[in-house]
Amino acid sequence: MKHSTEKHTTGRHLLGAAVALALGWTGFATAASAADDYPTGPITMMVGYAAGGQTDLVARATAKVMSEQLGVPINVVNKPGAGGAVAARELQKAKPDGYTVLFQASTVINSAPFIMERVDFTPDDFEYAGMITAYQVGLATQKDAPFDTLAEFVAWAKENPGFSYGSLSPEARMYMEQIAKKEGLEANIVPLKGGGDMINVILGHQVVLALSGGIHKKYPDEMKMIAALTTFRHPSDPDVLTIDENGYELGMDSRTTLILPKGTPRPVLDNLATALKAAETDEDFKKIIAAANIPIMYFDANGAAKEMADSYANNKRIMESVGIIQK
Amino acid sequence: MEHLIVGFQDVLNPATLFWVAAGVTLGYVLGAIPGLGKATGVAVAIPLTFYLAPAAALGMLIGIAKGSAAGSAVSAILLNTPGEPSSAPTAMDGYPLARQGKAQKALKMGLFASVIGDFVSTMILIGLAAPLASYALLIGPVELCAILLFSLTFVGGLSGRSLTKGLIAAAFGVFFATVGLEAETFIPRLTFGMLELDDGIALVPIAIGMLAVAEMIVQAGNIKALDVESAQISDGASREDRVVLASEWRRCLPVIARGTLIGSVVGILPGLGASVGSFLSYGATVRASKTPEKYGTGMIEGIAAAESADNAVVPSSLVPLFALGIPGSVIAALLIAAFILHGLTPGPLMFKQQPRLVADVYAAMICASLIMLVIGYNGQRLFAQIIRVPLRLIIPGVLLLCCVGAYMETGSVFSIYVMLFFALLGFFARKLDFSFVTFLIGFVIGPSLELTFRQSIQILDHQAVNLSGHPIAIVFILLTLATVWWTTRDNGRTAASQQRGDCGQTDPTEAETKHIKKGG
Repeated sequence: MKHSTEKHTTGRHLLGAAVALALGWTGFATAASAADDYPTGPITMMVGYAAGGQTDLVARATAKVMSEQLGVPINVVNKPGAGGAVAARELQKAKPDGYTVLFQASTVINSAPFIMERVDFTPDDFEYAGMITAYQVGLATQKDAPFDTLAEFVAWAKENPGFSYGSLSPEARMYMEQIAKKEGLEANIVPLKGGGDMINVILGHQVVLALSGGIHKKYPDEMKMIAALTTFRHPSDPDVLTIDENGYELGMDSRTTLILPKGTPRPVLDNLATALKAAETDEDFKKIIAAANIPIMYFDANGAAKEMADSYANNKRIMESVGIIQK
Repeated sequence: MEHLIVGFQDVLNPATLFWVAAGVTLGYVLGAIPGLGKATGVAVAIPLTFYLAPAAALGMLIGIAKGSAAGSAVSAILLNTPGEPSSAPTAMDGYPLARQGKAQKALKMGLFASVIGDFVSTMILIGLAAPLASYALLIGPVELCAILLFSLTFVGGLSGRSLTKGLIAAAFGVFFATVGLEAETFIPRLTFGMLELDDGIALVPIAIGMLAVAEMIVQAGNIKALDVESAQISDGASREDRVVLASEWRRCLPVIARGTLIGSVVGILPGLGASVGSFLSYGATVRASKTPEKYGTGMIEGIAAAESADNAVVPSSLVPLFALGIPGSVIAALLIAAFILHGLTPGPLMFKQQPRLVADVYAAMICASLIMLVIGYNGQRLFAQIIRVPLRLIIPGVLLLCCVGAYMETGSVFSIYVMLFFALLGFFARKLDFSFVTFLIGFVIGPSLELTFRQSIQILDHQAVNLSGHPIAIVFILLTLATVWWTTRDNGRTAASQQRGDCGQTDPTEAETKHIKKGG
């Protein structure tokens, strides 16, 4: 089904190009008027993760709200691979007409290029229609652990060398390596595959601490967070200090972002941003998001572009300071 | 218990039952189509259930999962192309039976084993979800690593006539499983710069390519002979060929019981999945049999073993989800989203906060088991007619479905290329008599084994002595050593005494060519 639509679009694209060539300057006029009555047909929303995860959950809920707002169907298509980089590459090849969008964590642009050698995205390679939720990334542990803050953990870890720490991404590894280097800790870094694996090893007491992408908030009776790894304190745990407040300048943010191909007309972006804003106040959306304990933090098109550029610069500075990338 | 009665009152109305039945039917058909399995079915159906009442919606989704686990046996038996990778062992004996004109008998046994496995496992979920789940947490990476190591020894029993070839195929499976980002340093391995390979090669396109597409190529190769044979097969000439006889029931019941147990345990353990369950059950049955050489030629126990375990995995994989909120399988992960949408947050609290809705889901699951029996029983008569359709009509259709199935999961054409590559590999594996079953076991278990091994090293603080704190792991390591010793000794003896080389299961292609020779 998906395939045939794609073909169809390409056909339309070719026809449009031919017409534009024949009429010379009218090419521009066509694009502008197309943007004015956008959208007239179904929109494909790619998600760069497999179905069933946190981002997919938010994407599907967002698609439902936006579809009601725009009056056209929005088809969610999962294109997992390389933390969203496969989907982002695919988006770059799509026509910048607003009918192909990517709903993805901002990490695919503000962090993946520093971690993955073959990914070289910059914020300027895409357009942004907005951001809707934030990931509450933090260091999580068992509820009954003998420490409540990062400082207390460091003190405990000095007494208990050879403790185990769960890591599910290069960033997660970087955090513990930096803390261990600064404090002289001896850590065993246990590789994990995904959030489910993380929950297992925490609840099963196989590790004493792990990086969580936010899923720990669903287990308030079994888990607690000792530090937020974002630049802001988490709405769900306003009393827990951020990593920067603990004296390590390593805080990095990621948010679910509506990403579009470079060159998408401004009216299209604004149209999508307005539809996205409706999710902020939609009751169903709030219910689904609240059940997963994900905070809503809306940004419009301008705000999203600025946030993406700022977080990219911030992450670049961190990666350079810890030596993951060369200056 | 009184909750469950209320649950039945809620579920036993025409509307809810209709949606559960619709889910089971949809799952059954999707399951029978190569590549379109439970995961695809549930993922696609989730948006459809937005507008249903919670009990109907969740019942329908679970119905899809259950139905497709049973449906995948149909194409495995009739076409030798398992609808899902987990039904690959079903094809081993199911297809030879179908070729012998006993398609209906094979389908019935597959269905009965599926329903029993599913029903018992559902009961385990209902009765033991909470207590079992806390034990499952004791199984950490160290224990899991030892269990997976033990599972690999079943490769010995499934290697076919040559243990060496079986081991080579399994090693290839492990090799292909290493493709992708390495778990600790995130360095890409064997990806040749292709981002599509960063997350490794997906199981579905591999399984479709090696099993279904390769099988279609082989069949196209001797299409004339098979067409003649298809015309000759009178489906169920005698009653004995159509029904499961009492003597067969007696032989199969212990097999089904073991399969159900293996499937339920595999389901509860995190990250193993239905394929591991059915392969293990089949392997264990071959191993326990007094006549292992007959497997692969149409032993009805083979179907019973594979299907009971395959289906038992589905409900029991919901145990960690219900009791702890941890998804134990892809299906469970997909269901989380659906559960939350319908106001049920999986986890220990859901029993306290929403006892009625939980009871509704349980009742719907039991109904789905019974509906599956009815639909499958009536459907198999219809499905069995496929065997009489000339292959020249079936092959193009199956190939189309294979492409769709490979494409669906990742939504990219790349998966179709992967499928074609492995079709080629599967074709030569058949021709050169390498077991693709051991290949798949290597591929399925390999990555988990590597990850848990690396996790174990870190958790044990690089000291082998620390293993003493993990008695379960020690037991499995000893079992592994004992099995390896037993297999090699056994194999040496068999090889010496049986020069005919008829030990272990035979490749289905072999059985089929033998049969053609006999028929022509």
